[in-house]
Amino acid sequence: MKWDYGDEVEDFNATGAGLFICNEGNFQYSNGTLSYYDPATDQVQNEVFFRANGYRLGDVVQSMTIHNGLGWVVSNNSHVIFAIDLTTFKEVGRIKDLTSPRYIHFISDDKAYVTQLWDNRIFIVNPSTYEVTGHIRVPDMTMESGSTEQMVQYGKYVFCNCWSYQNRIIKIDTETDQVVGQLKVGIQPASLVLDRNNKMWTVTDGGYEGSPYGYEAPSLYKIDAETFTIERQFKFRLGDLPSELQLNGTRDTIYWINNDIWRMDVTASRLPVRPFLEYRDTKYYGLTVNPVNSEVYVADAIDYQQQGMIYRYSSVGELIDEFYVGVMPGAFCWK
Amino acid sequence: MKAMRKDFRMAVHGACLAVCFVMAVPMAVAQSTGKRAHSLGEVVVTAKRPMKEIGVQKTTFDSLALKENVALSMADVLTFNSSVFVKSYGRATLSTVAFRGTSPSHTQVTWNGMRINNPMLGMTDFSTIPSYFIDQASLLHGTSSVNESGGGLGGLVKLGTLPDVPEGINAQYVQGVGSFKTFDEFARFTYGSDHWQLSTRAVYSSSPNEYKYVNRDKKENIYDSDHNIIGQYHPTERNRSGSFKDLHVLQEVYYNTLAGDRFGLNAWYIDSNRELPLLTTDYGNERDFENRQREHTFRGVLSWDHTRSNWRTGLKGGYIHTWMAYDYRKEVAEGNWATMTRSRSNANTVYGQLEGEYNPSRKWFFTANVSAHQHFVRSEDKNIILQDGDKAIVGYDKGRIELSGSVSAKWQPVDRLGLSVILREDMYGTKWAPLIPAFFIDGLVSRTGNIMLRASVSRNYRFPTLNDLYFLPGGNPDLKNEHGFSYDAGMSFETGEKDVYSISGSATWFDSYIDDWIIWLPTTKGFFSPRNVKKVHAYGVELKGGVTIQPIKEWYLDLNGSYSWTPSVNDGEKMSPADQSVGKQLPYVPKHSASLTGRLSWRTWSFLYKWVYYSERFTMSSNDYTLTGHLPKYFMSNISLEKGLNFKPMDIQLKLAVNNLFNEEYLSVLSRPMPGINFEFFIGITPRFGKARKDVPEEIF
Repeated sequence: MKWDYGDEVEDFNATGAGLFICNEGNFQYSNGTLSYYDPATDQVQNEVFFRANGYRLGDVVQSMTIHNGLGWVVSNNSHVIFAIDLTTFKEVGRIKDLTSPRYIHFISDDKAYVTQLWDNRIFIVNPSTYEVTGHIRVPDMTMESGSTEQMVQYGKYVFCNCWSYQNRIIKIDTETDQVVGQLKVGIQPASLVLDRNNKMWTVTDGGYEGSPYGYEAPSLYKIDAETFTIERQFKFRLGDLPSELQLNGTRDTIYWINNDIWRMDVTASRLPVRPFLEYRDTKYYGLTVNPVNSEVYVADAIDYQQQGMIYRYSSVGELIDEFYVGVMPGAFCWK
Repeated sequence: MKAMRKDFRMAVHGACLAVCFVMAVPMAVAQSTGKRAHSLGEVVVTAKRPMKEIGVQKTTFDSLALKENVALSMADVLTFNSSVFVKSYGRATLSTVAFRGTSPSHTQVTWNGMRINNPMLGMTDFSTIPSYFIDQASLLHGTSSVNESGGGLGGLVKLGTLPDVPEGINAQYVQGVGSFKTFDEFARFTYGSDHWQLSTRAVYSSSPNEYKYVNRDKKENIYDSDHNIIGQYHPTERNRSGSFKDLHVLQEVYYNTLAGDRFGLNAWYIDSNRELPLLTTDYGNERDFENRQREHTFRGVLSWDHTRSNWRTGLKGGYIHTWMAYDYRKEVAEGNWATMTRSRSNANTVYGQLEGEYNPSRKWFFTANVSAHQHFVRSEDKNIILQDGDKAIVGYDKGRIELSGSVSAKWQPVDRLGLSVILREDMYGTKWAPLIPAFFIDGLVSRTGNIMLRASVSRNYRFPTLNDLYFLPGGNPDLKNEHGFSYDAGMSFETGEKDVYSISGSATWFDSYIDDWIIWLPTTKGFFSPRNVKKVHAYGVELKGGVTIQPIKEWYLDLNGSYSWTPSVNDGEKMSPADQSVGKQLPYVPKHSASLTGRLSWRTWSFLYKWVYYSERFTMSSNDYTLTGHLPKYFMSNISLEKGLNFKPMDIQLKLAVNNLFNEEYLSVLSRPMPGINFEFFIGITPRFGKARKDVPEEIF
């Protein structure tokens, strides 16, 4: 057999602003990839990690976060986080010994939290040494039903939504690395953002029919970060599939997927009646908003087994560009 | 059973056991019989072929293939001796079989008449079927499967045991010692008389399975003192977490009244304990994780066959129990293992079948068959804490009756022409499939060369599996049946000269359309769910050929080959305007596959060469050639050399097998590297218990 991939690597020089796309790939296929799109030139480069480094990024590329000039790519089922140079895409280091990493949130240059699936602990890592330095144990959670997801920070507190077979947001004191509070919301809060008014937003998926944990209509929650209380609950219909809560650059508008693409002012008192972008007879799988100009990028996973498509829309909903990326584009990261 | 298992495990730790066994065998007088049985008989003109097989496209495996060596599973036998696609993750890991561009769940599998497909998954893991437990095996391609069962949209694998055992008490023992600390043990004891045939067989295989490979999917970093990367290299790693311990015991009892009635009991027990190897891209420490699958399966069939001059009836009853456990655990502190996934499933199946055949004249043959499989399945997939703090298990507990009945009429108006029609009706749960009709025709167009033409057409349905319908989360009770039409036509020939040569071959064209193909797709809620989505057009050509030559006295050369061209194309609607999969080959289905086996024998020596080829396989439905998106073609060559020795108290067979002869780096499945060149040495002992043996010993490797 001719081995058709190997040691040849490419030298990239991606200066300027751009968008990273995390393509999860298929579970157990190790075909997760990273794409890079330059909105100024409309050029996309796919499989940039492989091409720059000569090896695979891993199985289920879950998320990417930029901190201190480095990109931190979480490869969930490979149990690793790669730190890459944002211009050359070459690896500069890796964090291992993780259970099933989902997201990384930086407290400082020497401390970051890594949430996990199938673990009742959030891992504390030192990004400068690439080492796991400790754990934050989440109360009332077993390893088997463990699930911590996205994180936002307000002052010295980090908030995190607990998703799979969970119904709460937890509050962590970053000075003591202890869970100091938790707030019950609906079944399975799937994402979490913090708006310009220091209000957190989370959207639940409501579970599924037949689940012993329960099945209910999903909801969008507005939570005050200061008091850690629910200010408002916006209910969807039973069977709706809201997900992928996002903010624009000025953090005054939230966006989400619920078959169509929806958006709402963070001060609104009820859900919009018409979508921002209508359903295109396909599966929207990922969503992001350009923090500079509020252009909207929607990921289409198609049949989940081929290169997905990204649609780029203007802030008023006009299609500007479309381009193929990797398999199951699920998360974005703006450079 | 426990005692027996313990004995076999002890045997693994002592390779010298074989020697001890030799010393313990009582001395006996026997004539030398170590030669292999070879014959090049006259080719029989097949005009009066079995009427049951009119128009049937069938591949039959001989005992040389099935009993080649004790380390082989049926997955290995099918890989090297047929044109079906075997998708394997390596030895003692999931190995599935797919015909003609369909999926593994479109392959029905029967063992002594009882369907053994897993009722939850629909597929069969052929790595759990040791070829030494199978005495007869055949493939019924496409439409031909309707003769035995519904639901075989690709085809059917028919496996069985036979009561043919030598007279008196006989025993065989084989021990294999191979690379990667692999041990294979096989023992068989038989007793045969006019009325009774008893057989006990056991296989025990174990290995840490830690073969080395260069991990092309990963690089290790070399750092300087400031943690800067100053170099990288592909590490040479061991196959981590891939050990296995598999025990199989098969008990058979047959009683023949010699007045047309035969009673049979077959009981097969499996105790399997396997780790699931880590992906090549897994950066976890294997000592921190346990990823293990255990299985206890019992399959039993009771049968009664009543045969008269022109009719026959048969009654079968059976039971299958399968307990499967999957544990994914992590050591969170020294000695403290936490469970991340604890899945358990219990599947019980009760089976009954009544069949009859009537042959009123030379020209007519009728069959009727009705079978029932009642499944009871309990699946526990996850332990969770409920909102009120109580605990619960995510899973399902369901039962389903599956009835299938068929009648057929076969007509041979003249010797050269045969026609057959089958009508089959299936009922799963409370749902009936529409009538499944199948038509077959064949004809002898030339007695010279025995040239036969065959053609058939059928409609077929496959019901969703229990997991498809009820698995939590994701099961979809609204799924429709997969259904389709299949057509095939072909020719075959066979000719030869007694004691000089024989040559045979066949070519078959097939064409299948399958609608409402069920596939599991991710959802936005983080789990997978099955949907009826694809319309598939699978078509192609299957070629088979065989040559046996006796060029010089006592020299025999056998060559058998097969080739398949199997485009299997997504013929459905686009799932979105950006969909690039329509008109493309299905993922993981090779367009071309071929196999070849060559055996050269001289007196008590035998040399075997096996070769298989699979063309590239795409892992994306769009057939993209990305760096991460397809599996290159590969060729695989295995050889073995065997020598028989004859002594008064016993026959001894020695064998050296070399797998992956050219040390190919290859993948059958993404991120699952296969072992390089590896070896296994076998010693087989057939003692003679106190009497001269008249029969030629069975192939025992």
